[in-house]
Amino acid sequence: MERITEHPILGAPQKGSLVAFTFDGKKLQGYEGEPVAVALKASGVMIHRYTSRFHLPRGIFCAIGRCTDCVMVVDGKPNVRTCVTPLKEGMVVQTQYGCSEKKSW
Amino acid sequence: MERYNLIVVGAGPAGLSAATEAAKNGMSVIVFDENQKPGGQLFKQIHKFFGSKEHKAKIRGFKIGEQLLKEANDSGVKVLLNATVTGMFLNHEVTVNYENAIHHYKADSVIIATGASENMVPFEGWTLPGVIGAGAAQTLMNLHGIKPGKKILMLGSGNVGLVVSYQLMQAGCEVVALVDALPRIGGYGVHAAKVARCGVPFYLSHTIVKAEGKDFVTGVVIGKIDDHFKIIAGTEEHFDVDTICIAVGLSPMSQLLKMSGCKMEDNPKRGGQVPIVDEYGETSVPNLFAAGDVSGIEEASSAMIKGRIAGLRASYKLGFCTDDFTLPKFTEYKNDLQSLREGMFAPKNRGKLIENTEEGIPISMNLLTKGFIADDEIERFPGVTKQKGVHPVIECTQNIPCNPCQDACVKHCITIGQHITSLPIVKNPAPCTGCGMCVASCSGQAIFLLNEDFAHGFATVTLPYEFLPLPVKGEKGIALDRSGKSVCSAEIVEVRASPAFDHTNLLTMKVPLEYSMKARFYKSNKSNEKKNN
Repeated sequence: MERITEHPILGAPQKGSLVAFTFDGKKLQGYEGEPVAVALKASGVMIHRYTSRFHLPRGIFCAIGRCTDCVMVVDGKPNVRTCVTPLKEGMVVQTQYGCSEKKSW
Repeated sequence: MERYNLIVVGAGPAGLSAATEAAKNGMSVIVFDENQKPGGQLFKQIHKFFGSKEHKAKIRGFKIGEQLLKEANDSGVKVLLNATVTGMFLNHEVTVNYENAIHHYKADSVIIATGASENMVPFEGWTLPGVIGAGAAQTLMNLHGIKPGKKILMLGSGNVGLVVSYQLMQAGCEVVALVDALPRIGGYGVHAAKVARCGVPFYLSHTIVKAEGKDFVTGVVIGKIDDHFKIIAGTEEHFDVDTICIAVGLSPMSQLLKMSGCKMEDNPKRGGQVPIVDEYGETSVPNLFAAGDVSGIEEASSAMIKGRIAGLRASYKLGFCTDDFTLPKFTEYKNDLQSLREGMFAPKNRGKLIENTEEGIPISMNLLTKGFIADDEIERFPGVTKQKGVHPVIECTQNIPCNPCQDACVKHCITIGQHITSLPIVKNPAPCTGCGMCVASCSGQAIFLLNEDFAHGFATVTLPYEFLPLPVKGEKGIALDRSGKSVCSAEIVEVRASPAFDHTNLLTMKVPLEYSMKARFYKSNKSNEKKNN
């Protein structure tokens, strides 16, 4: 999804420096300090995880760390709320299947 | 264990206000908030607030957040972020989780100001990526500078649904429709009107049938509902959208209060499970208070006053301030709070159909069902007059607690009077200079300047404009009416921007005289071309 470059009330968004991270092995870029979920959204990633029983896709829902719909495996740790986790250089972000980074079905 | 006079949970408008008030009275205060940043939801609010001039009306929400935070810091309040309160124990002891450890605190008084969370409505496909809360949309676009979607459908016509729809358009997104299951628009008419004149259709008595898409939202189907909220077959309508935004109310996050053992009640008028509190926000547990949305859903302006009242009461009860100092302040705060709870949208009027204004003027029914005032309804309101030369036309037609326009006019053309919810009256003849301060001061963007003597056969309409790109003088485009329909061609004759207008730019467009009372928005031809390509 498109980033806002100039906003009529807020002007240009204040962002950190551009850093590289990986999503399911693919190299992506985002701004340091912004939520991982925002960096993913800017690259067009909609699906953050699949539920364990029905394998249904989930993505950003509340964007403030309450609903846990956007959790992913970040740097090997599952169930990380990507909407409130700041992006860092070199982060390894993976789609979460149930509670792990790999499909177990 | 660490000791404080006061522990506040939640660093939003209510919590920060409570903490500041108490700290100013000499209490040692710590505020815990689970988020990375303080301010609660205030920093996402980019619209100008309603209310009285004395209480931060016409200031944008995020600016109020900055002021509150500065005040809290200046008064010595300690704010601990990324700190989640996990337990409430007897004698005002709490446990807090931060830096992956549990910490133990004790205070003489505790104020819970945890706010509210969004409600949800389930429908087929509601768990698909692309279905988001309205708060999420605000967070993404206003805090993180990313569009929540390209084409969006909004469910919910309360103030949140209306304000967020407008903000989505400001961020450059397209809002395809605004849908509500209720038969009438729930939020302020002025908020609805500024969305409607941009061309967004309102579907009242409608709801979402399903979200379409396999991996994420690709479309949505809505349908009309009957009196039993069942979809009427054959009324379904499809929209291509990538995002569905849900704004169907808020529920108090009162879990910590429940945990602390105070008396609770289920009160739909206050938004759900809430503590039973006295007029100061004190619960059945002595020196345990609730302030802000957690004790009943209202606006941020009310939350700030409720916070101040709780903070003052906590300091008073523990002997930090005297009767002489405290009692007049209580009266002042209570009066302020009362004035915000007046008018057509007051908590006591929730769900009621108000047919006449306090002045006895019939309410615009079009505004309640379609989002805009019909041509044959507008002239009965006291802000709308026919005059020679330039003068304000105030399309403020519902009693809401707001009065900055009255002081905006240095020539005193506009009167609201003592009662803050009264409709503004425009003096006739008005000694208007055309300065535009009233236009920019109106949080509801409901004030226009009209000059029907601009040139032979032509009038000018000056309107508030908060979008990009800003049209330039000499540009030609189309004037839209209150419903967002194209009515005539228009030429921009003046564009005004000033720090005093606070990002509300003033566009003056020239239209044929017969359209002076219809033309209320401007669309440039350029944006048309772009869309067609």
